[in-house]
Amino acid sequence: MTTTISPGGQVGRSVPRLEARAKVTGRAEYVHNLRLPGMLYGKIFRSRTAHGRIRRLDVAAARAMDGVQSVITAEDVRRVIPDPYYGPAFHDQPILAIDKVRYVGEPVAVVLAADPHIAEAAAHLIVAEYEELPAVFDEREAMTSTAIVHEVLRPAGTFPDLKHLEGRTNTNIALDFHLRQGDVEAAFAAAEHVFEHTFRTQQVLHVPLEPFVSLADATPSSVTIHTASQSPSFVRIEIARLLRWPENRVRVKTLHLGGGFGAKLYIKLEALVVALSLLARRPVKVALSMEEQFYTITKHASTFRIKSAVAKDGRVTARHCEVLWNGGAYADIGPRVTQKSGFTAAGPYDIPAVSIDSYALYTNLPPAGALRGFGIPQLVWAYESHTDLVARALGIDPLTFRRKNLLRNGRPQATGTIMRDAEIEAVLERLAARLDWNRPFDRGAGPVKRGRGIAIGFKASIAPTTSIASVAIHADGSCTLSCGTVDMGQGSDTAMAQIVAEVLNLDAEAVAVIHPDTDVTPYDMATLGSRSTYHMGNAVRLAAEDARDKIAALAASLGLPPGSNLSLAELFRRKYGMQAGTIIGTGSFIPSYSPPDHSTGLTENATPFWMIGATGVELEVDTETGHVQVTRLVNVADAGRAINPRIVETQLSGASIMQLGFTLFERMNFDKGQVTNASLADYKIPGMHDLPLAIESEFVPAEQHGGPFGAKGVGESATFGVSPAIANAIHDAVGVRLMALPLTPEAVYRAIRAAADDPLGEA
Amino acid sequence: MTPFEFVEPASLGEAIALLDPDDVSTRPVGGGTAIMLMMKFGVLVPARLVSLRRVEERFSRIAVEKDGSLRIGALATLRSIERSSEARRVAPVLADALLRLSNVRVRNVATLGGHLAHADPHMDLPPVLASLGAELVVAGPAGERMLPVADLFVGYLETVLKGNELIAEVVVPPQQDRRAAYVKCTTRSADDWPALGIAVSLAVSGPTIRDARIVLGAATDRPVRLAAAEAALAGREPSDALLRAAGDAAAAIELVSDAQGSAAYKRQLLRVYLGRAVRRALAAGPGAGEARQ
Amino acid sequence: MNARTIRFTLNGGPATAEIGTHQSLVEVLQQRFDLFGARESCAQGLCGCCTVLVDGKAVSGCLFLAVFADGAHVETVEHLGAGERLDPVQEAFIEAGAFQCGFCTPGFVLMTRQLLDEKPDPSDAEIGHYLSGNLCRCGTYPQIVEAVRLAAKKRKA
Repeated sequence: MTTTISPGGQVGRSVPRLEARAKVTGRAEYVHNLRLPGMLYGKIFRSRTAHGRIRRLDVAAARAMDGVQSVITAEDVRRVIPDPYYGPAFHDQPILAIDKVRYVGEPVAVVLAADPHIAEAAAHLIVAEYEELPAVFDEREAMTSTAIVHEVLRPAGTFPDLKHLEGRTNTNIALDFHLRQGDVEAAFAAAEHVFEHTFRTQQVLHVPLEPFVSLADATPSSVTIHTASQSPSFVRIEIARLLRWPENRVRVKTLHLGGGFGAKLYIKLEALVVALSLLARRPVKVALSMEEQFYTITKHASTFRIKSAVAKDGRVTARHCEVLWNGGAYADIGPRVTQKSGFTAAGPYDIPAVSIDSYALYTNLPPAGALRGFGIPQLVWAYESHTDLVARALGIDPLTFRRKNLLRNGRPQATGTIMRDAEIEAVLERLAARLDWNRPFDRGAGPVKRGRGIAIGFKASIAPTTSIASVAIHADGSCTLSCGTVDMGQGSDTAMAQIVAEVLNLDAEAVAVIHPDTDVTPYDMATLGSRSTYHMGNAVRLAAEDARDKIAALAASLGLPPGSNLSLAELFRRKYGMQAGTIIGTGSFIPSYSPPDHSTGLTENATPFWMIGATGVELEVDTETGHVQVTRLVNVADAGRAINPRIVETQLSGASIMQLGFTLFERMNFDKGQVTNASLADYKIPGMHDLPLAIESEFVPAEQHGGPFGAKGVGESATFGVSPAIANAIHDAVGVRLMALPLTPEAVYRAIRAAADDPLGEA
Repeated sequence: MTPFEFVEPASLGEAIALLDPDDVSTRPVGGGTAIMLMMKFGVLVPARLVSLRRVEERFSRIAVEKDGSLRIGALATLRSIERSSEARRVAPVLADALLRLSNVRVRNVATLGGHLAHADPHMDLPPVLASLGAELVVAGPAGERMLPVADLFVGYLETVLKGNELIAEVVVPPQQDRRAAYVKCTTRSADDWPALGIAVSLAVSGPTIRDARIVLGAATDRPVRLAAAEAALAGREPSDALLRAAGDAAAAIELVSDAQGSAAYKRQLLRVYLGRAVRRALAAGPGAGEARQ
Repeated sequence: MNARTIRFTLNGGPATAEIGTHQSLVEVLQQRFDLFGARESCAQGLCGCCTVLVDGKAVSGCLFLAVFADGAHVETVEHLGAGERLDPVQEAFIEAGAFQCGFCTPGFVLMTRQLLDEKPDPSDAEIGHYLSGNLCRCGTYPQIVEAVRLAAKKRKA
């Protein structure tokens, strides 16, 4: 691992997390722990129908139960929020179901009680009857289905590329994104070879171990929301919109998050608890159970049809991509996933002609949103599986084939944006070196066969987005950073403190970082998409520099020569005559960006920076059972310059382990829209026995120009290559190709039998 | 969860007297791990729980009897069995199976009696104990009776026990020179419910398998003896071909399709893992197992 | 009969609580004693976030009826490192960077304590046996294993 420590000694140092002691002693603050005097607990009654009109909702028995404070339905919600539809891309999601339900698990009513056990028992007494409507679950069927999830589309107005969908009826398409680069048709017509494959991914879940929790304390004129949210600023803006209040009457506070991974973005429970607290006139807390997480937000299932034209020399001359995203019943941020991921669907390759069609689709499944990678892992799964298939068909080594087609700095990506500071080549070469790709590889003996595979992916940052920070220097010279980045385990508090410390020549450990509180911390778009290190890191650096300049100005105003070594405390004392005063530095950052042309998807500035991640895998396949044991997993990434190398490495290994679960066994199972494995007993996530025998993670020497001290985001990069690298290695080991995730032992075994022309029966 | 009456009788006899075969709202509770799960998910709403935690100490004891049999009180925790040198002396396969059963915390609390009475086909010890020829001491109002573990289960979460009968003890007969193994096969994470569990107990004379007791768990609604496979092995010398034949014979039975795999796939797993389990049992060596873990 | 008073030893001191028979230990620790280090997540004894030591043995507080704690010695993560110095296991977790979001950390710390109490010099297989019942969704397992090895060394020193 190459690291450089900066002149101040703070950036590039593996500072232990600031909150380390609190976390190992069980004293770290989570919203989960919070109770307020007079607080009520809300328990949600949910739909058991995937698509239906609400014919009857009987809450009388629940209301009559001893200890129940009230039972709230959509009708009640409308008394305090007349138009109770929310969402970042579409205003499509009602706080509680109105007129109809669109998925199994949708909130329909809430019981409030001081005792959560009573609230839960009462919720079991609620009865709902529905007129069943035709439902659609599959994203391919949703394209043409006559089952329509939303009668009318209601874009939020935030995003210009959704405006054309306003008022559309009779469609499940919540966004269509198109990119056209070069003459694709001509290239296919002239191609020596054409390859086409379709790949699928399954619906999976984030599973933060701290389930969703929000608490609202409302008065008629103000509301404070304590919430485990990755986007406190968005919550404030959206709640203010719903209430038609100014932002300054809505206060949103977060604490540490027990994991987020994209689940806790935008609005989840916040609008609900605000309505409940306004109606009950008491603080209300809603804490979901693990089961309820399955009804809240998921990761998009997808179908990706990819087609490549290849010349005689093995160069890919054209590629067509069609991606369908199963967005579930409410759009959440799905349309952004469709567009932001869509434009990189052709992969990190230098392909002159590219066409991409990417569609966000409504279905009657639980909503899908962002999950660590924002759609990229689904895309890389497809294009890197495809890459290996093409290389194999042409008889070219997969590494050689990638080298031949790789997208290098200075070359245009499919949008036309020229690649800069994207160490795609260095990452691939480092991976090849670590795997010692050219050495002879042991293929195993007996029923256990060995194989290896590689995959590389890239991702653009979400843009244009804003971060603002402030740094306060107190009268004794100590320092506090206010920023809205939410530390959900990625170590942002520590990294931001390191940036402040580097500028102000302090120890990072001496910088206090306050939890996001919209009354105190300035605006930040959200903690998502690995944007914080770059965006907030820049804002924090600017804020610290501003504070430093103000300190210098103060010193100058006191007649001190530049470079005077007077302590900060002494400076303040001289200025104010006692221990008094504050210096506040502020920093605001928004990178430059050019939105893509609506019809062609082209732009010369698609992203402020690129994230690159590659994974190499060595594994064993038991040909008698299909069991796969990953013996070695190697992640290599471009993280720019690492601010905290140890945390970067932990983010890389952690992301790859999460993706390993999505690759090998995680899957939400459905029966007519009903999740049938909504618990950790039946939805399995990786534990200690599921790890590869060896995991190695490294980042290449790199520098992101425009990033704070050359840094950029890295939280998602090690998710990119895991799935296709494993599928490629399985192919290498046993000669079969799996086209859908997860790669379960049964799927592998069935493929082996099918390849032997002796397929295993269905039952 | 809603409140219930909680009683703590000081003897097993008192506990039995507090149970009523016609009242399903009264339930006995040992470690309570399964009961808590059922209550949390609303599938059990008891009016009264009869705690067995304060009954006579002998119902938690693990001892080797004079005749060489292993007697385990039903209130013994799974972890105490896992760590018991007596249990290891008679049936080392128990500790082996326990290491992959749920986790340390659950094993610290869950009791053997509850583990068996719950009758979830995914549990690991029912097939193991059945393959060892273990019997239960069942206590009821009329006194005690012996019941082979193999005869306890009627179906999914169903046993032959009456509502006022309790498992008091489990008796594992002396194993002499028998060799045993348990193979648990999962298809998702390592801590998943097994797709199947195969318990094997072999009597071996020289190179020959004298007789085999093989019990399959998890892939059917209750543990089942694999008689055809046993017959295929009896009196034969193990070879790859023989084990394949035994696996094929075993795989003729009906299996359940579920999230762990289709029945067709589980038949393949059975075919393969049967031979692997036999191999492991042969490798385990007879009698007292070596200290493990 | 649906409520009762339990008396037990909590983190070294006497404790008494009026509880409902249906309440779990983790719930009582949070609501009556403001101890939040044990926390419910999966609610099924699978993730280990609610780990508590009862009479020196790790249990899942979410599956443990509070009435069972009557007369027992209960220890939570807050009791470790309550003094000036952290427990060697806690120190090792910090030094190895063995957590990210931290929600699962108290459970891992307590399970590691039980592991090292019973196996002072654990093999990799033993680390797996004890810790495979704790889940870390951030995937910090490699660093946790490193922390366990480091803690074993520290305890011997």
